Amino acid sequence: MRYLLWATIIPLIFIIQGRVSLFDVAPNFISVVAYYAGIRGEKVYGTLLGSLIGAVQDSLSGAFLGPNLLSKGLVGYFSSFMSGGFFRWTPLLSVIGISVLTFFDGTVVFLSRSIFERMPVSIGAALFIVTLQSLINAPLGILLKPRAIQQGSEGQK
Amino acid sequence: MPKKRLLLFLFIILSIGLMTYQSNKGYLHPLKFLNNALNSLHGVVNSVTDSVTSPFKRMLLREQENVRLKAELNKLLREQQEYHEALRENKRLRELLSLKEKEQKFVTAARIISRSADFWSNTFVLDKGYHDRVEKDMTAITHNGLAGKISDVSHSYSSLLLLTDINFSVSVRLQESRREGIISGTGYRKCQLKYIPYDEEVTVGDIVITSGLDALFPKGIPVGYVSRVDKKSTGLFRYIEVLPFVDTTKIEEVAIIKR
Repeated sequence: MRYLLWATIIPLIFIIQGRVSLFDVAPNFISVVAYYAGIRGEKVYGTLLGSLIGAVQDSLSGAFLGPNLLSKGLVGYFSSFMSGGFFRWTPLLSVIGISVLTFFDGTVVFLSRSIFERMPVSIGAALFIVTLQSLINAPLGILLKPRAIQQGSEGQK
Repeated sequence: MPKKRLLLFLFIILSIGLMTYQSNKGYLHPLKFLNNALNSLHGVVNSVTDSVTSPFKRMLLREQENVRLKAELNKLLREQQEYHEALRENKRLRELLSLKEKEQKFVTAARIISRSADFWSNTFVLDKGYHDRVEKDMTAITHNGLAGKISDVSHSYSSLLLLTDINFSVSVRLQESRREGIISGTGYRKCQLKYIPYDEEVTVGDIVITSGLDALFPKGIPVGYVSRVDKKSTGLFRYIEVLPFVDTTKIEEVAIIKR
């Protein structure tokens, strides 16, 4: 059931991502999915699911396989620290975490492309794009909670 | 090194290795078929979105068209009004021109630019003054008849005291009977014809013209017609109301003539 949900959500995210833009910048919602995979599961699960999502994105982008695979895998890995292993989850921390990891994701993809292919955009434009994507994703940090926190708040109710 | 960090390290190395390989040997697209699937999904979403949004889009287009047509209609109506206004102005100016050609004592034609600041007096401000040879006590007429007299003059402007003003009076004559009298303003639309004796036969509709005996107004200018004759009043003279030919509410231009 859970995998079916992922299989539905991920294409939907790709579709939404391809249809909206702000200041001519497409949002990076797929990074949120990788982040969510990390905070809901543990490190290996987050990394694997993140890298799978990244591989799908690389394939869909038509460019070479790897940049998103690496970046999303890393996002999945690092976001697992938010679930209590290293940090104690709070909404503010989650907002900061999702922003930083979105920025990190964009930066890794940009650097990978720049190193192994060619620089896709100028550094200034890249900075603008990843910053805007981070800001767009930031509010979602409040909604996305680790499993333990969610179960705790449901138990209190 | 913990197992998970080792795994991460391997993952990074693998990813970098994969990218390095592709940069040398060409791109790998193991999941390329997903692209077609996603494109098909995009197509489905597009068709669903279109079927949902197209009625609204059509409504919006109709609304926009409606707004455009309304604006166009307003523009046309405004143009039509301007056209009618130009026609009326043309007619008035033609009449004024014919007056100019007819009147030997024509001084100038003046346009009424405003009412007097005094709400209670029947006075208009004209756009002609000393500069245009307008002088105090000159007569203002329209193609209908007497409008009033110039009560005050400045360099470029003058004041027209209408014949309905309470301070206005002119020596007149009944056109048929040739009986003389004095017309005075009543302050509102009608004038009063004074000093017509009781034995004088005056009927409603009799035309009143200037007599020229007051040394101010030229002779023979139509003033108005008798609208009411009060036969029951007592005294030496009849009470007669005269309705001026010139409708002071519609007056826009006047011709100024000298005696």
